[in-house]
Amino acid sequence: MESIRYDRLQETLYHEKLDNGLEIYVLPKEGFQKTYATFATRYGSVDNHFQVEGQEEIQVPDGIAHFLEHKMFEEPDGVDVFSKFSAKGASANAFTSFDQTVYLFSATEQIEDNLNTLLDYVQNPYFTKENVDKEKGIIGQEIQMYNDNPDWRVYYGLIEAMYQKHPVRIDIAGTIESISEITKDTLYSCYNTFYHPSNMMLFVVGGVNPEQVIEQVRRNQAAKNYEPQGQINRYFEQEPAAVGEKWKEIKLPVSQPKFLMGFKETADGLTGEALQRKNLVTKLMLDLLLGNSTALYQQLYDEDLISDDFGYDYTGTSEYAYSMIGGDTRDPKLLVQRLQEEIGKIVETGFSQEAFDRSLRKRIGNYLRLLNSPESIAHEFTRNRFKDSDFFAILLIYESLTLEDVNQRLRDHMNWDQLAVSVVVSP
Amino acid sequence: MNTTGFERGEINGIRVHVMPTTRFKTFAVSLYMGVPLAEDTVTPTALIPFILRRGTETYPETTSFREALENMYGAGFGFDVYKKGDYQMVQLRMDTINDSFVASDEPLLSRSLAFLGETVTRPVLENNRFRDKYVQAERENVRKRMEAVIDDKIRYAAERCIQEMCKDEPYRLSALGKMDVLDQLDGASIYEQYQQWLSNSSMDLYIVGDTTLDEVMQLVSRHFQVNRSAPVMYTPAVPRPAAPEVRQVVEEMAVSQGKLNMGLRTPITYSDERYAAALVANGVLGGFPHSKLFMNVREKESLAYYVGSRFDPYKGITTIQSGIELQNFDKALEIIRQQLDNLQAGDISESEISQTKALIRNDLLESRDSAYQMIAYDFNGLFSDKERSVDELLTAIEHITADEIQAASSVLQLDTIYFLTGQKEA
Repeated sequence: MESIRYDRLQETLYHEKLDNGLEIYVLPKEGFQKTYATFATRYGSVDNHFQVEGQEEIQVPDGIAHFLEHKMFEEPDGVDVFSKFSAKGASANAFTSFDQTVYLFSATEQIEDNLNTLLDYVQNPYFTKENVDKEKGIIGQEIQMYNDNPDWRVYYGLIEAMYQKHPVRIDIAGTIESISEITKDTLYSCYNTFYHPSNMMLFVVGGVNPEQVIEQVRRNQAAKNYEPQGQINRYFEQEPAAVGEKWKEIKLPVSQPKFLMGFKETADGLTGEALQRKNLVTKLMLDLLLGNSTALYQQLYDEDLISDDFGYDYTGTSEYAYSMIGGDTRDPKLLVQRLQEEIGKIVETGFSQEAFDRSLRKRIGNYLRLLNSPESIAHEFTRNRFKDSDFFAILLIYESLTLEDVNQRLRDHMNWDQLAVSVVVSP
Repeated sequence: MNTTGFERGEINGIRVHVMPTTRFKTFAVSLYMGVPLAEDTVTPTALIPFILRRGTETYPETTSFREALENMYGAGFGFDVYKKGDYQMVQLRMDTINDSFVASDEPLLSRSLAFLGETVTRPVLENNRFRDKYVQAERENVRKRMEAVIDDKIRYAAERCIQEMCKDEPYRLSALGKMDVLDQLDGASIYEQYQQWLSNSSMDLYIVGDTTLDEVMQLVSRHFQVNRSAPVMYTPAVPRPAAPEVRQVVEEMAVSQGKLNMGLRTPITYSDERYAAALVANGVLGGFPHSKLFMNVREKESLAYYVGSRFDPYKGITTIQSGIELQNFDKALEIIRQQLDNLQAGDISESEISQTKALIRNDLLESRDSAYQMIAYDFNGLFSDKERSVDELLTAIEHITADEIQAASSVLQLDTIYFLTGQKEA
């Protein structure tokens, strides 16, 4: 077990990598009642075409990572996993994203039992034809629920508009048609590939003793005799640089149009701290450009083109990278036009040092506030670690950023040829 | 020494509650201002916080107001307007990091309270009324928010169900007010309502963080100069009986999933001795993934992705919500009613009870890790005029029996069934 001290944050992190490849991290939080644990696999909706070293290459139906997440709650003894956690006072859940699947619980008592339950159910798949078919009805309703949700539709609409080939464009839950192709055998193939401990990470945060937690996990894993597994190769079709559709429209009943636009970037292959730094600079740049204290935000608000739900975000991985900007608006076309005019002017002048200092302060404050939340710590740490970066290094990176970094990023990112727009309007 | 951890004071008719603690990296500040929910005041009252957050005497422009927050290391500032019992609540929150993590020239707690105090008590005015530009913009903003309820079908169905069920009570009103009166309101009339609100609302200020009651009292006396005499108490709602016959309302819209919502009345509220039993009863019915609704409607019958129940102990209402295939209305309704019948008949297993108790216990213990949850818990007691510490509630829950759960369930009366369904082909 090694310990990593972060003096500025007054936090100490404990780490061990087990022989079977599982990475364990424990962050003790003194005075906290709650323990929050996540057991995550580096496997999400984009991983639909892959091969384990020395084995066959396979392609699987859309939505299978999410389907698998649902099916993990089924156990051979017929005991419902949620009930098992409930009996020990733990609240359990799971979620699937583009590139990871996370199983979690939070509890204040019986942590040892709950931790064993978490490790054991995720490492004990039980798929049958009957339980796979049954799930299709439930996930079908989940898909329908999202189909009726205009915020989700405008969000996915933008990704679909930007990406022509890369599987990021596939809805995480798949479609009613694609999940109908899922069988217990395809589930086992995915499970055996991606749920090997060498592809997984356990994070435990709360009022725990790190040595005890790690020792417990060592014992739990030692009893399971995992064979070593070769490297997993993931295949993604070559994504063209250009967006697929410049303007994508979906019809659903809404009170006023939902609008999102984004700039698609060419994947530049950055990883680790360089990628993390680029992501932080880009988010800071968007704050300076469009945050609710900026002149531009206020101007658009005064023109009745945006309201409180206006927002923006940036997603940057080594495979795909894009910004998203938008909200509800009375006139999507006019809003794009106004954004293009005003952003153009700001790209010419750049941001001021004063605005930079203020926005950086805000970002640092937000980051420190995240550290009150065990959930945020666990999710953010795991997400970063899977991309070879360190969530706890963010304060130091922020403090090393300069005005020129942000101005440069502004000029690079605002490439109007790379713009895609997604709108949801009433039929 | 009290058991809640809050130390209390009173100044300018404001009740002040402080929990000194070093456990968090932040100061959490929450201000509750409640007035009785009423037809003629609901709309102007809802507009007040929207206008207040546009500017103050010191920061008359919205951009400067928000820059000031960013300069406090991005202090979180937010507000909410909602219904609680028969009250319309306006809640303002600030969340500032503890100075020990950053270099700050003036203590951030004192800056936060100065900021919040000024926001509430010294808004920017023109000719002794709210600035017209802000009033117009925020009226539009609130109008759009009202209209936007339809965008989220889950929320829309929940609100419609309550509206139908409480059609003869103020509780039918949206917390944001009434769309048809927005245009009649101007900077003068809203300002008049604001002055009433400032003098007559029930006002509670909570702070959790590394401070003391003395320090906070001094800051409040300096920054919250309001013309109020004594604190105003809350009067808990009196629950109503269900309509003599169950009402069924079906509404059509272009949706692919149907939303089946149900509203039930209960005479049990927060201050009732049966409150703990009612909490467990709701947990057994639909509060958790091991509950009757989830296990039967979702896991056994694959009818829904989401299905659950919620108990509102401030109003005496329990609601059930689910998303189902359009043609499964009858089947889903039957299975949901069956779960309710089973609960009321006392068909409750030992494991359902123990699992529910364990999860409620966990929720209560976890709430101690969150400053805002501790504040909310304390305020709930104050609002309901019933002091009941977390420890007392934990003990009460532990001792609840199957008979008590049945008794707390048998008083539930189904009132309204609401179904949002797809449009029939023309």
